[in-house]
Amino acid sequence: MTLAIETIGLTKTYNGRIRALEGIDLRVTPAEVFAFLGPNGSGKTTLMRILTTQFRPTSGEARAFGLDVVRRGADVRRMIGYVPQETSVWLDISGRENLLIYSKIYGVPKEQRKSSIEEAIQTMGLEEDAGRMVKAYSGGMTRRLEIAAALLVKPRILFLDEPTIGLDPSARKAVWESLTALQRERGTTVFFNTHYMDEADHYSDEIAIINRGRIVKSGTATELKRSLRGEILQFSRSRREGEEEVHGQNGFSESALKKVREVDLVQDAVVSGPLLDVFVDDGERALPLVMEVLRSEGATFDRISTARPTLDDVFLKYAGPLRSGMGGDGG
Amino acid sequence: MTKEDSFREMLAMIELEMRRLRHDRTEIYTRAIQPILWLSVFGTVMSEVGGIPTGGIPYIDYITPGVLIQSTIFVSVFYGLTIVWERETGILKRLLVAPASRSATVVGRSIASGVRAVVQALIIFPVAILLGVKFIPNPIYIIAAFLVLFLISGGFAAISIFVASLMKTRERFMGLGQALIMPLFFASNALYPIEMMPPVLQYAASVNPLTYAVDAVRGLLIAGDISHLAVDVAAILVFDVAAFAVASISFRKIIE
Repeated sequence: MTLAIETIGLTKTYNGRIRALEGIDLRVTPAEVFAFLGPNGSGKTTLMRILTTQFRPTSGEARAFGLDVVRRGADVRRMIGYVPQETSVWLDISGRENLLIYSKIYGVPKEQRKSSIEEAIQTMGLEEDAGRMVKAYSGGMTRRLEIAAALLVKPRILFLDEPTIGLDPSARKAVWESLTALQRERGTTVFFNTHYMDEADHYSDEIAIINRGRIVKSGTATELKRSLRGEILQFSRSRREGEEEVHGQNGFSESALKKVREVDLVQDAVVSGPLLDVFVDDGERALPLVMEVLRSEGATFDRISTARPTLDDVFLKYAGPLRSGMGGDGG
Repeated sequence: MTKEDSFREMLAMIELEMRRLRHDRTEIYTRAIQPILWLSVFGTVMSEVGGIPTGGIPYIDYITPGVLIQSTIFVSVFYGLTIVWERETGILKRLLVAPASRSATVVGRSIASGVRAVVQALIIFPVAILLGVKFIPNPIYIIAAFLVLFLISGGFAAISIFVASLMKTRERFMGLGQALIMPLFFASNALYPIEMMPPVLQYAASVNPLTYAVDAVRGLLIAGDISHLAVDVAAILVFDVAAFAVASISFRKIIE
């Protein structure tokens, strides 16, 4: 089967020194929603701009449905839709006029133009506002209009750069409902950049986490969470009134942390604020052991809870800023 | 990408400009104020002075072509502002991912600006008639004059796109735009014959595309003398081709 997107050893260096991408290998299956997750400045946008033929890579290969994005750029452009992060519609004409202009730019045949435009308006739920000037639109409506413009050509791959940045929760939900419907009904491959963990978790079939130009982890949301195996034991401690901070670690000393990490079933232990998170394979068996170590180190706590790893934990583990914000030498 | 893709994008860009104009005409009216002042105040006063050899043409008639052209290139030179704005937003990125070629985007935008500029001149034209300017009553000449206006302002729009690729902020762009237009205007035959200028300025005027445009439009609208028309149009076309080429090459830089 031809992959929707495939990259092999893709690198991009700006001005001969700033290395934005350092060897990206990516495989995106057709008709899936693929989330590319990374902190700001990690190289997400650069990758997307290479895949959408705006930039050439410094080395490596990238293909969309088997077509090389450099050599067959014109053909690639014909089958993709692209919504950049910034506003990409004209504000001083109406929503419908924007779609009309874009349909002409993209070369939608004259006899299909009207129906394509109306269909895109319906898919994105803009029926009531299509005749209004875009400058009167809310952020969510503008974003849906931008996506509508990308749908005019019925793209095989839809690229979205931070599709819901700056939108309120209900607008985000509306955008995602339209996008998932699109993928379901038309089999469009959706490739999006984001730094919202919950979005990648809820709406994607597969996720790749990028940091400093490299893919540090990829898989489905469930696989990624499972990769942290097991559970998190969370020890919390409320500081008592008038009490000095004893250990400089909110009550969990550096040596306690070290000892906990040495316990057999423990993968890692991290202090964040008043919490001690202990990543373990088997919570039920690990809990007594960890408690014993903490007691013997004189660490006090007044609550223990267990949690399953969330995508945030995965992201923090692989993309960092690792363990920042904890006391002592930390990470 | 095919020629068809590119041609289609050019037409779409012109349509976009027309639709924007239809929604908001304020700019067209406010931009008409300055040229109308040139004609009604400067033109009228200088007619009284009468120190400039215009070959028997009333002074206000003499400067009308230059003022028309100045007002159209104002539109084109500041067209780059639109491009600067579109770069700050995602529109340019999106146009780059469309099937048409990059040069089609540049040429399309320039032509669209030319069309907008001609609309600007159409506002000033009747005002000039009201001020008593006598145009040659030949519709073919008038249409030809507007074609010249269109050609020269398209070229300046391309220059403006080129400048936009160098100037990354709107403020810098505004400054440079202002600094460009007035010297071009003064170092041309718009307000006085070239023969009156000091030699250095005469040389500057002879390589100034405005000079050729003014000469062509003056010949068509006022003097009824089209003996230089071929040379003038050729000079303008050379300028246009060069401007489109430079702008198309620099357009890549705009988005990076």
